Amino acid sequence: MEIIEREEGEVRVLSLVGRLDTNTTPDAEAQINSVLDSGANKLLINFENIEYVSSAGLRLLLATAKRLKGSAGELRISCLNETVQEVFDISGFASILTVLATENEALDAF
Amino acid sequence: MIANSDKPVVLAVDDTPENLDVVKGVLGDDYHVKAAVNGKIALKIAETQSPDLILLDIMMPDMDGYEVCQRLKANPVTANIPVIFLTAKDQDTDQAKGFELGAADYIQKPVNAMILRSRTKTHVQLKKNLDALQEAYALINAQKQRMQDELNVGKDIQMSMLRRDYPLFPDNDEFSVHAQLEPAREVSGDFYDLFFVNPAELCLVVADVSGKGVPAALFMAVSKTLFSARAIDDRSPASIMTRVNNELSKNNPSCMFVTVFLAILNIETGELRYSNAGHNPPLLKRADGQVSVLKKIHGPVAGAIEEIAYGEDRINLGQGDVLLSFTDGVTEAMNTENELYSDARLEAWFADTSGLTAEAWVKELVTSVSEFVGAAEASDDITIMALSYDTEPGEKTQDLYSITIPNELKALNSVVEGLEGFAEGKAIQPGVIQKLCIAFDELLNNIISYGYVDDSPHEIFVDVDYRNDELIATIKDDGIPFNPFMGDDPDISLSVDDREIGGLGIHLVKQMMDEVSYMRFTDMNMVRLVIKTTAQG
Repeated sequence: MEIIEREEGEVRVLSLVGRLDTNTTPDAEAQINSVLDSGANKLLINFENIEYVSSAGLRLLLATAKRLKGSAGELRISCLNETVQEVFDISGFASILTVLATENEALDAF
Repeated sequence: MIANSDKPVVLAVDDTPENLDVVKGVLGDDYHVKAAVNGKIALKIAETQSPDLILLDIMMPDMDGYEVCQRLKANPVTANIPVIFLTAKDQDTDQAKGFELGAADYIQKPVNAMILRSRTKTHVQLKKNLDALQEAYALINAQKQRMQDELNVGKDIQMSMLRRDYPLFPDNDEFSVHAQLEPAREVSGDFYDLFFVNPAELCLVVADVSGKGVPAALFMAVSKTLFSARAIDDRSPASIMTRVNNELSKNNPSCMFVTVFLAILNIETGELRYSNAGHNPPLLKRADGQVSVLKKIHGPVAGAIEEIAYGEDRINLGQGDVLLSFTDGVTEAMNTENELYSDARLEAWFADTSGLTAEAWVKELVTSVSEFVGAAEASDDITIMALSYDTEPGEKTQDLYSITIPNELKALNSVVEGLEGFAEGKAIQPGVIQKLCIAFDELLNNIISYGYVDDSPHEIFVDVDYRNDELIATIKDDGIPFNPFMGDDPDISLSVDDREIGGLGIHLVKQMMDEVSYMRFTDMNMVRLVIKTTAQG
């Protein structure tokens, strides 16, 4: 899976590309974990280029949120398309994760 | 003296007390003898105490023996009590008059003790036998009524299995269809069925189970269920017939069987594919009036022999064509001269009649058969189905995406990529395809990860049918029986710390699809998903 990584101040921004499902999640998981392992504590995952997320992807987001919470870190998520927003709504993730409409809003929310 | 209730009761009627004493003397040891000195008293005792026998004097003042006898016989309560006339008269004419009035016997006075004893004994015994017979008869009648009631319930249940919500398919302009079953007995072995296997294909079944009565009705119920279950996930009449025959034959100790005509009509193109298992060949009447017989029999009756491969044929229906299917109750209906309605008569009727609606075709044929049968008793169930194709057949518009994948997670990529390619250029909103991709990801992941108990390779079949602003997807696998939609929905109100992820995927599928369903077949799971391609929220 393609993930574009950059830094905005102390925030690590990960832009995911494609779909976050059974086959792409292990790859995304490895990359997110390596970012967290390197000491990043403020993480913004940008979904602008994500087509859809299945429960495999949700599982990764939940694990990431738990890990950051354990280290007093923060996770922000931005730019959901209509389908992903619906998945977040149906699953209840919209209310347990901090989701913002744009990347700038998400950066400002840290 | 205390009456012994075990003794039969004899009522002696005589206006001379000495005569009554004689009777008491002769019968007193063996019978409880009641006495009446005139007819009026006799009638009262007879009505209130139900004696087993009445010894009746003829020559009495006020009301003579004849009149007493007449009144006894006229009263239903006393009519069955045997009456023996005791009289000094010995003319034949008097005896004849007594018998005419319903007397059982005559004894002449002066009474011979031995004759009195023996005739009393005989008639009391006869009365007892008669009573026992009547009791048995009443019991049999009660049993018969109970069985009748149960058969009526069976009939109600059976008839409720048939579509009778006339008019059938009122929203479809492409065709009209009517079907009717007239049972010969309380429960029958005929059945018919009509249902859409997908929005463009209508399945028609007309069948006749061997035998009649409850066993045939039970076999009918099983057969009907198997055919409809099989037809939903199988587009070939030959394949449906082959598989249902195998299931019916496998466990069939009573050697019942069923003759079946099964057809699938594409209502858009008019294509009719059909398979016939030993059933009466249906008739086809073209719009120009020409009648033909769909003669081909594709295999033996279903349920008799396992592992038969049935064939199928196809014809194309045009506007105004009528297909008439029926059971042998029509052609083998018999009139009082023992003549059959016969195939020839049916074909002639079909050729000579025209311009009817589907419903009228059925009703007119029912009328024709019942007029022919006349006063003769209906010998078999009569089932008739008429289908009239009412549209100009269109081009085939079926649009299908099919892919078979091995049970490996990486194969999911090809399913979703293929689906995205299939959707390209079609009037399907991208969100719809994304949701279906999510559903496939969830369901196929489940099947591949948990569905197999061995390490052998398996195939999973995915089909997506696009028509009428809907995507209808089916996933078929030969894994362990598992209904993914059975589990409880997850609690989505919990916080990050408490959330468990289990069950979430299926929850997404259920929420995002417009319809989900699961069916288990003998060796296959089938999940069916429907999502509308327009008007997404």
